[in-house]
Amino acid sequence: MQKDLAPYQKRKNMAEIGFVAGFLFIIVFVVLNVAFEYMTFYALFLIIGILLVLFGIGLFQWTQRKFKQEFLKTYLSDLIENGEFVPRKGFSRVQGLQPIDVYRSEFIEQADRFYSYDYLHGIIDGIKFESSDVHLQRLEYRTYTDSKGNTRRKRQYVTYFKGRVFQFDFNKNFDGCVLVLERYRPRSSRKYKKVDLESVDFNKKFKTYTTKEHTAFYILTPHFMESLMKVEKDNPGNVGFSFIDNKLYFALHKNRSTFSLRPFRKIDDRYLKSIHDEVEMIYEMVDDLKLNRNIFKEDS
Amino acid sequence: MPDYVIVIIILAVLFLVPVVWFIATMNSLRRLKVKVNEAESGIDVALTKRFDVLSKMVDTVKGYTKHEAETFEKVVKWRQNMPDEMTVKQKEEFMEKMNQVQADLNVVVENYPDLKAEKVFTNLQRSIGDVEEHLQASRRMYNANVSRLNSRIVSFPTILVAKQIHMEKQPFFEAEPSKRQDVKMSF
Repeated sequence: MQKDLAPYQKRKNMAEIGFVAGFLFIIVFVVLNVAFEYMTFYALFLIIGILLVLFGIGLFQWTQRKFKQEFLKTYLSDLIENGEFVPRKGFSRVQGLQPIDVYRSEFIEQADRFYSYDYLHGIIDGIKFESSDVHLQRLEYRTYTDSKGNTRRKRQYVTYFKGRVFQFDFNKNFDGCVLVLERYRPRSSRKYKKVDLESVDFNKKFKTYTTKEHTAFYILTPHFMESLMKVEKDNPGNVGFSFIDNKLYFALHKNRSTFSLRPFRKIDDRYLKSIHDEVEMIYEMVDDLKLNRNIFKEDS
Repeated sequence: MPDYVIVIIILAVLFLVPVVWFIATMNSLRRLKVKVNEAESGIDVALTKRFDVLSKMVDTVKGYTKHEAETFEKVVKWRQNMPDEMTVKQKEEFMEKMNQVQADLNVVVENYPDLKAEKVFTNLQRSIGDVEEHLQASRRMYNANVSRLNSRIVSFPTILVAKQIHMEKQPFFEAEPSKRQDVKMSF
């Protein structure tokens, strides 16, 4: 495996060296300008510095693209039955398009800027799933006072969700919709009502909304509530679940991309283990939530 | 503003605040009671569904054993002697009787592997599993609503309103753990 990773590591090293060298050239340019009298040839340091930084960034992105398309595609499809990883594809932001639109979960806020990539789908223990990285930003206006005392308004995009969204086939048929949310709230035209379940701990951790109270109790059995609490414990403060049209949607805010390479971090067995852990988490979800116990559905 | 007007306003407020609070509390208690009743009717629906599926299952096993059919006949007769509107206690009893029939059926299934292979029977087993889940959901929903209502009724000052409108604590729908274990489905 290490042998397969070596070419990517080599290119990534070059990219990082280029970036650091470029940065150093720019620092030298600044130091020369501050410490000595200005001379035209100092600009050479700046130009070379900028070129090296651009080279570093470009090579890093190219390496990442190649790594995902060539290595991760095969690696992930080997780990998951019928698994397919498509780095340049993601969930849609428009209803009716394939793959699914991310707002189908009914708790993710409409974004002003929307990015989705690293689409992964497959079958785990007979359960179909789809997942994708999603990065959502909203436009905010910030007012501030400049040095001359004038009040100004600044436009900026603020990230409010960066993580992974999953859709699983659910093991029970049910009417109505249920949302189990920690940091989100319902975002739908449906009339959701808050419901308290019998578990005090669960009610403290999550807010449960439903269009049909009975369905909330039907889906959220005591065992299932415990499993959701366990998932939450592993990812505190960052999860949201919804149960709609016999599907389970799960959003996990991580504030980072799942499969992207990280600068100055080696592509080695440790890195592969982190990828493996991401897949393992999907297996655990299916197992913990007993999605593979399809006892109430007709054999299909 | 003349003093007497201020006094009238203060008296009106002192009178209105308790009246408004009384009406609001009374309405919220009645809303809770409606929710309890709705949840109870959910239990009725689930019990009826379970009874229907059980009767189909008993019909299917008739050819294999007569004992279960007789036990079920007793449950049917018991149900016929009960009023349409059963109390929570009677519903618990009804559920326990059905649990017993179901537990007996599970034993029959274990003794007759042919039965396990019959598609009609396996479909019924799947249905009864689902009905059982719905029954548990209805039971839990009922108990959660009863718990909310009862805890409000016993707390001060709501207890004053509850007494005025003759609202009493509602019984929980209990299911003994041992009885619940009996109905574990064996697939």
